[in-house]
Amino acid sequence: MRKARLQDLLWILFISELQAANEPREEQYVLAVGKTLNVQCPFSIRKYANSQKAWQKLMDRGEPLTLVFTESVSGKPSQVRMGKYFLEDIPDEAILNVQMTNLQVEDSGLYRCVIYHPPKDPDILSPLVRLVVIKDFLVSDKNPTQNLVQTSTSSLTTTKAQSTLLTSPRTVTQLLPKSTADISSPGFGVNITNVTDVTSYGFRVPTINIIIIVLCGLLSKSLVFTVLLAVTQRSFGP
Amino acid sequence: MSAPCALLTWALLALFGLGLGVPGEDLPCSCCPIVPRREWKAPASKCVDKLKLPARYVVVSHTAGSPCDSPALCLNQVQNVHNYHAGMLNWCDVGYNFLIGEDGLVYEGRGWDTKGDHTGKIWNPISIGISFMGNYMERSPPPRALRAAQSLLACGVAQGKLSPSYEVKGHRDVQRTLSPGDQLYEIVRTWPHYHE
Repeated sequence: MRKARLQDLLWILFISELQAANEPREEQYVLAVGKTLNVQCPFSIRKYANSQKAWQKLMDRGEPLTLVFTESVSGKPSQVRMGKYFLEDIPDEAILNVQMTNLQVEDSGLYRCVIYHPPKDPDILSPLVRLVVIKDFLVSDKNPTQNLVQTSTSSLTTTKAQSTLLTSPRTVTQLLPKSTADISSPGFGVNITNVTDVTSYGFRVPTINIIIIVLCGLLSKSLVFTVLLAVTQRSFGP
Repeated sequence: MSAPCALLTWALLALFGLGLGVPGEDLPCSCCPIVPRREWKAPASKCVDKLKLPARYVVVSHTAGSPCDSPALCLNQVQNVHNYHAGMLNWCDVGYNFLIGEDGLVYEGRGWDTKGDHTGKIWNPISIGISFMGNYMERSPPPRALRAAQSLLACGVAQGKLSPSYEVKGHRDVQRTLSPGDQLYEIVRTWPHYHE
């Protein structure tokens, strides 16, 4: 019985990897306390120019909490503010601008833009936003690159850990040191500037690195599967 | 089934499954033939605005003008489009980042690094605009043109110009327009990176 359950679990993990490709794209934003999150969610102009849109947070059990929603269905640009949440719907450009100001650590979590038409289920727009709000870290002018490396490593680790579950989020990391100087690390080639908008890494990953990372991922995952199976077999005898 | 056999089967299945789970881009061949500006005798671009790379969106449009099915004709046609944009409309350069000919070749417009003028003030700074030369309401581009476009986008990812999770949009998905034409739009909707 237990053996069957374990093997079911292995199958579930296997299939969930396949399904990962169909999930909406997830992007991770790492911002310091007090900063502002800016996200752009495109929508289909033909389908949704005259629809209400909303910004929702996905709570612990996956149920969505609507934080702010637009009311206009005229097809003209509209804005709505609800405390720290701000939505700007620009139907003619097929874009929904979202802003969350004065971020706090409690704001960390998974958010999404949706087409809002209760009581029907909302239509989910891309990207899904994984927000991580961190306490602002002090960067000593002596070794800024060291802090950069540490944060990069931790965000990479987070990404790897998440990808072993269901989705493969792409990390868009905003690093905000107190120093206003441009910091570029020769190893990564990343330019850090003191802006409040979320920016993406400007570095180029050489092809060989992509190949190596993919192969390592393949090898490590197949190792995990085979070890789990070996343990299963050994526990319950031949 | 004996234990080693089962072990082997699982290992193979895992590898196979992981092969499917790997992101859908073919590993790049790093051969990205693009007809450069100099070859179609492009005047110097006067554009200054750069794109923030990697771009997350690609907008596919059509020129709604004449098609061309040979390198000689397409060279001429790119110049025509450029003359219209830079001459008549007084833009800093041809509006698209890249143009695709029915000869199966990709023509360099503003390229990966420069903001284009193809989709409007919100989308231009966040997307790469590629345009098929021709009008595709009633007819489709030939397979070699579609292949050229796909190859261009794979190149973009390989060179870090496009995010690996980039999304393709039809021009009519984000603006009120018929572009890229009914036939081409239906094809674009089947592309792996297409997202409405």
